[in-house]
Amino acid sequence: MSKFNADQKRWLISQAELEAWLDGISNARTLIAPRRVSGILLYRPVENSRAIACHNQSSGSIHTERPVLSVKEFFFPPTERLFAINKTGQEIYLEETFPDWETVIFGVRPCDAHGVELLDALFLDTNPVDIFYARRRRNTTLIGLACREIGPACFCTSVGGAPDDAHSVDIMLYETHGDYLVESMTEKGRFLIPGGEWKETTDRHQKSAYAGQFSVPDNGKWPEHFKDDYWTKISERCLSCRACAYICPTCRCFAVRDELVKKGEFERIRCWDSCAGENYRRVAGGHKPRSEKGERLRNRFYCKFYYYPEQYGLGTDSACTGCGRCIEVCPAGVDITEVLMDLEKPE
Amino acid sequence: MYQPRLIAFLCSWCSYTGADTAGIARIKSPANIRVVRVPCSGRVSPELVMRAFDQGADGVLVLGCHIGECHYDTGNHRAAKRLPILRSLLSFAGLEPERLRLDWVSASEGERFSKIAEEFTGIVRALGPVHWRINSSAGHTSNQILIAADEEIPFPETDCTAKTNSIRIKARELLASGQVGCVIGYEVSHRGRTRPVFVYSPEQAERLVWNPDCTNNLTTYLPAKLRSVKGKEPSKPIAVVVKPCDSKAINVMVAENLYKRDQVYALGVACDGIRSADGNMQTHCVTCQESVPIVCDALISGDTSSHIQRLSSYNGKEIVALQAAPPAERMEFWLEQFDRCIRCYACRQACPLCNCPECLYERDESTFIGLGIRLTEKRTFHLGRAYHLAGRCVGCNECERACPMNIPISLLNQRLADEIESAFDFRAGLAVAPSPIVTILSGEYREG
Repeated sequence: MSKFNADQKRWLISQAELEAWLDGISNARTLIAPRRVSGILLYRPVENSRAIACHNQSSGSIHTERPVLSVKEFFFPPTERLFAINKTGQEIYLEETFPDWETVIFGVRPCDAHGVELLDALFLDTNPVDIFYARRRRNTTLIGLACREIGPACFCTSVGGAPDDAHSVDIMLYETHGDYLVESMTEKGRFLIPGGEWKETTDRHQKSAYAGQFSVPDNGKWPEHFKDDYWTKISERCLSCRACAYICPTCRCFAVRDELVKKGEFERIRCWDSCAGENYRRVAGGHKPRSEKGERLRNRFYCKFYYYPEQYGLGTDSACTGCGRCIEVCPAGVDITEVLMDLEKPE
Repeated sequence: MYQPRLIAFLCSWCSYTGADTAGIARIKSPANIRVVRVPCSGRVSPELVMRAFDQGADGVLVLGCHIGECHYDTGNHRAAKRLPILRSLLSFAGLEPERLRLDWVSASEGERFSKIAEEFTGIVRALGPVHWRINSSAGHTSNQILIAADEEIPFPETDCTAKTNSIRIKARELLASGQVGCVIGYEVSHRGRTRPVFVYSPEQAERLVWNPDCTNNLTTYLPAKLRSVKGKEPSKPIAVVVKPCDSKAINVMVAENLYKRDQVYALGVACDGIRSADGNMQTHCVTCQESVPIVCDALISGDTSSHIQRLSSYNGKEIVALQAAPPAERMEFWLEQFDRCIRCYACRQACPLCNCPECLYERDESTFIGLGIRLTEKRTFHLGRAYHLAGRCVGCNECERACPMNIPISLLNQRLADEIESAFDFRAGLAVAPSPIVTILSGEYREG
């Protein structure tokens, strides 16, 4: 996947053109876009452009607040059947079903797209390649939408992202005075664009001004804090639920188990898992390597800012995209930015 | 003619023998019933019944010894209390209540066994195939039941400095005198968010605050903090800031021997309602009639003039609307809600009364639930959790508040609280008393 296409082109389209384009996409493929479901915003399949949630119904602008879950669930779903096991008499058959439908996700946040790229390092770029993830990734086109404003919990600019960062999407959209500036970022994105009908432009979008950045501790700084009492202290309020991990665009732990479907039929499934749970990494004999919740919460931060860059870090500083979901979702008010700032503070 | 698949859990001492008696006497019984022999009707946990339905049973029949004749004295008393509660829960979630039946058959009553089996098969046959089992992974978004929301009460400006000061003064006093080792209260984070804080020294008491966003039920932290560890000094008592609803959880936990009453110092705050994220009053506060905590060692009353207008009484509007809908629609409603669940367990972890050392629905060897984050497992978890909280839930609504996916979990809890109240005249947390369905002989179940 070439990240920077030489013949990167730009078009300027109206709201009506955008809607017609999305309607066309939804006819031939599965279109996933932010949609309001029982009071919350989620990326969900939509039948046409009218089903896409709008922040402002009257203006018709397609901007919304950030969906509760990231697009992670479409590449690394909560539950995946790896294969089915059928037993007939003495014969045992294994059957795999691969996700092979073409999907377009519209309205992807730059932070979420960055999250997908971070997942690639593990599922695609490290051997063995995860075939399920790879297929989903190959069949999915990401249409990004630059954020109009930085949300109350967002801190993407502090971890290397930006509200208009187009690095990880296939097509990027910027809203400009009621119109949309469309930029094709990859070959796959270019394929979706109805070339002749749209007005090409050479305009570039206005760069947003980034404010409120804070500095994130260096990778090298983390080991010395490993044994600090700090982790016990800040984790006191942690409830050890998994909300932060499951809504995170880059948390990628899973558990695998064979389960009975019905007599003679089993399946091997892979499900989301989280280091926040007490039983995570429990070994034979019942030993739990991280039995204290301080150790578990510490692992979450180390995984994002130390283990990931150590393991996969090709120019990445962290596995955090700064989407701020974990801050908003935490029922007890654990705040990742507070931790980062505390570590930067002189003792 | 539709042949329903029925599961019957028969107590080994009476009902199983009763079925045998029917066989020996050559009384005909329907062949639809698959018998599972259990030592006692008290052995039939709600999870077994739910599992049977999850796996496609059209009906579940539980038969035990007549009351007073249990081989283990009280096993059937448990069944007599549990199963009706389970039936009302499953019915609320969209199962026809007639599909679950509890009855008594003694060893000599072969004819009675056959009659009950015949009757039950007839009723379930008339209902047709069950729709409980989830087959497809199709999304559920065709929600037919529209519930008119209660009038939203915007939260007025309130001055909480008096309460904040009283909490700080009291906390400082308690910590300085060594009466408590820790005060659990609320602080405001650098982001301006109110959250739990643990204060260990008088100097830190300045961090404590009171404001309308003090939503967390802090008693959740007590069992782990007070747990006695072998070879370690028992921890000093802990002071905890509680609202009226939170304080009731202390009563339940004391009744369940999680800690002793004198290990907790309840700093009760006179509550005017709590604000939700959207700036309105939280739904459960709108109808709450309590402003003074039931369990309270020191009352932080502050300025009582700022009392906020609330609805006169709890009307259970959502529950009434749901119960009026046909079972299929109710089921569709709940499947749509549960479909959003991601099994993050925020509800369980935020709940002061979900305090099992290891959740039944998270055990590796659990046969009641799989590992999957799929609709069947999600429904089993939510219904199971609601059942486990029957007669224990104090209605603090933290589960629903903690849920990132906006699932109306409290409706399930409220429905069962209503059921327990009408059946046993019992409301959780009003006194140090365990749930009537976990005790044995006190409080029999009354129909209606």
